[in-house]
Amino acid sequence: MRVLVNLLFGLLIAITGPVTVVMAQGNGPLRIEITEGVIEPLPFALPVFEAENAEAGALSAQISQVIAADLSGTGLFRQISPDAFISTVSSFAAPVQYADWKAINAQALITGAASVQGNQLNVKFRLYDVFSGAELGSGLQFSGTPDGWRRIAHKVADAVYSRITGEGGYFDSRVVYVAETGPKDARQKRLAVMDYDGANVQYLTGNDDIVLAPRFSPDGRRVLYTSYETGFPRIYVLDIASVQRRSLESQEGTMSFAPRFAPDGDRIVFSLSQGGNTDIYAMSLAGGQAVRLTSSPSIETAPSFSPDGSQIVFESDRSGSQQLYIMPATGGEARRISFGPGRYGTPVWSPRGDLVAFTKQNSGRFHIGVMRTDGSEERLLTASFLDEGPTWAPNGRVIMFTRETQGASGRSSLYSVDITGRNLRPVNTPEGGSDPSWSPLQE
Amino acid sequence: MHTGHYISGAGHLVLLGWLAFGDVFAAEPLPFEMTEVAVISGAEYAALLAANVPPQSVTDVAQPSSPEITPDAPEVEVAPDTETELRQPEAAETPQTETPPDVSQITPPPPRADVSDEAPVLPQPPADIAVDAPDIADVAVPQAADRVAPEAVAQPDPEALPDPVEQDAVAQDDTGSEQQEPADATAPEAAATEIVTEAEKPATTMTTSLRPPARPQAPPAPQPAAAPAPEAPAAQDAPRDALADAIAEASSAPATPSGPPLSSGEKEALRVAVSNCWNVGSLSTDALGTTVVVTVSMTQDGRPVNSSIRMASSSGGNDTAARQAFEAARRAIIRCGARGFDLPAEKYGQWQEIEMTFNPERMRVK
Repeated sequence: MRVLVNLLFGLLIAITGPVTVVMAQGNGPLRIEITEGVIEPLPFALPVFEAENAEAGALSAQISQVIAADLSGTGLFRQISPDAFISTVSSFAAPVQYADWKAINAQALITGAASVQGNQLNVKFRLYDVFSGAELGSGLQFSGTPDGWRRIAHKVADAVYSRITGEGGYFDSRVVYVAETGPKDARQKRLAVMDYDGANVQYLTGNDDIVLAPRFSPDGRRVLYTSYETGFPRIYVLDIASVQRRSLESQEGTMSFAPRFAPDGDRIVFSLSQGGNTDIYAMSLAGGQAVRLTSSPSIETAPSFSPDGSQIVFESDRSGSQQLYIMPATGGEARRISFGPGRYGTPVWSPRGDLVAFTKQNSGRFHIGVMRTDGSEERLLTASFLDEGPTWAPNGRVIMFTRETQGASGRSSLYSVDITGRNLRPVNTPEGGSDPSWSPLQE
Repeated sequence: MHTGHYISGAGHLVLLGWLAFGDVFAAEPLPFEMTEVAVISGAEYAALLAANVPPQSVTDVAQPSSPEITPDAPEVEVAPDTETELRQPEAAETPQTETPPDVSQITPPPPRADVSDEAPVLPQPPADIAVDAPDIADVAVPQAADRVAPEAVAQPDPEALPDPVEQDAVAQDDTGSEQQEPADATAPEAAATEIVTEAEKPATTMTTSLRPPARPQAPPAPQPAAAPAPEAPAAQDAPRDALADAIAEASSAPATPSGPPLSSGEKEALRVAVSNCWNVGSLSTDALGTTVVVTVSMTQDGRPVNSSIRMASSSGGNDTAARQAFEAARRAIIRCGARGFDLPAEKYGQWQEIEMTFNPERMRVK
């Protein structure tokens, strides 16, 4: 019996063995699928840019610092301390010793040089993929006045960011916001504009009147905002370069607020409250009659155009609770896109057109969140006592918003967060701030 | 007439008697093993126990030391352990001072209650990593308080070492044997398989990280004696460039794989090794939606030939996104392959050419 079993087993092996080998040989290369990786900042090395002449000595170090701060501030990159460097970059033209940078696990290397000739600052840089042993893209040079060294540094950081991530940059951009000083019951507000990182703050209005909700124009040269200068909210357009402003026409007995530019920069949408009813209107900046876009007896406000200008997302309580809706830019039937628990407000369409950022209030907490324009894939990014007023970075990857702390001594300040929910961090401002609006990339 | 009956009855009686008393059914006694038992006295038995018990307690301590825990929960799991260990020595010191009030003050913080309270919180993670959560919970509970970390941790290692040797021998005979379990190397601190936003973060942060298994340090690759032979003539003519040698070697190799196929465990080890270096944290959202298929040629010591890394195809994104995704994949292969992947040298024909599909679906930002 045992002999018979052995014979049968041996026969089975003899038959199936060659088949297995043949199948393996016929499979071609070994195939594996990788579906899980790690999410961690990409380590980069940034030796201080070479100063090609004495005038550029101090600037080259400052430029290097700003570039490193820009990249590290995204949460996507991590700067390797210069103390860990094995080799130094003595000259911009010197060949890169990849092994030395690999040894400290630098995955990207940024080298650069700065020079000042007269009133012109030249900054050039190269980006290397260390482990591939090759340059990422080709070298670039930016020129400007020495006073604008921060902008040049931001542009270098933008280029590095774009080459590695594939996203557009956002460092060379500005933010207009409401600067707030004083206690809650006697708070003074004025318009201010600053670099995205809180540097170069300039004030656009005085402390005399309450100002609200500034919004950048698509070209970044003008700002719409609401002021209570006359005792009633009115909309103003302010030219940043000249700080000249003018008020938009409004009817007697009405209140207009929550303005926002259309993508073409020639039209605006806003809310107008008349006789206890608030609806959304559109009008041309050149003048003319405002066109009513909604006609519901409920409150419709906070309109925001889609990037192509064809649709408007807004908030409305027509269903009994505050929710988000999308309608054609010319008005018409609106479709509801928010269906979760709580109240949704202040929607802002992403510059890339794929997402809508919003404020959500639920169970006594405020959240900044994003959802797709069909309402799917809602994702809450923050949670606090009071978060509100999101605004998109030019690349649609980062959101800035207002966070207010609790209590009589509560303070409003600006925060930014990646749309993944990572890298939540405060924005440095000289004093409190609220209602930020992000400009497009500067030209 | 009855004579036949009598004869038949007598015959049956004789037959039955013979069967019953004739040892017809008596089988041979079944073989059995006999062992000699030595009778020892009670004192000797006690002495044996005294000699044997302590080593058993040591092994008991060593067995639960599962190194798999450390990569999973480096931040949270360790902290409660250290707290409990710190408090218990205080309890040991107070009796020495013989001050009853101190003992009563120690009683309020029960360390084990803290551990048991945290365990139910764990199942919070989303569905993507639901596989990992039970592992954490199952192992964490029994280990809570009584571990003596410095002792006898080294014992499991020799038990694990013989595995690869046995696997090599078995692999040639048949497939399907369980290969070595991936050992636990520490994952990068910032590594995570999911993104937990501020809004989603639970009050007691019990974060989960990557799967525990990671590639161990690559052992010195065994070089078959026949392998270097074809390299030598090419190296004499060409410049002494290791990369060129590797390319020449790869191009002269047979196109079809040969040798025994890689086991599932060996493939898994390679997959995990590459995964540990596949950093998608700096990729754009478009690139995170792009799957790339990358081909790479390998040298016999398990290192990738960097210049041979090619993107065979991509799907789900535009050219820019595909390029970013490919560069991240290439960095992963080069970085983790710098020391050589842990691949069986005798099966080089099977992994000389590798096609890796990098699918970021689980890592995608939504």
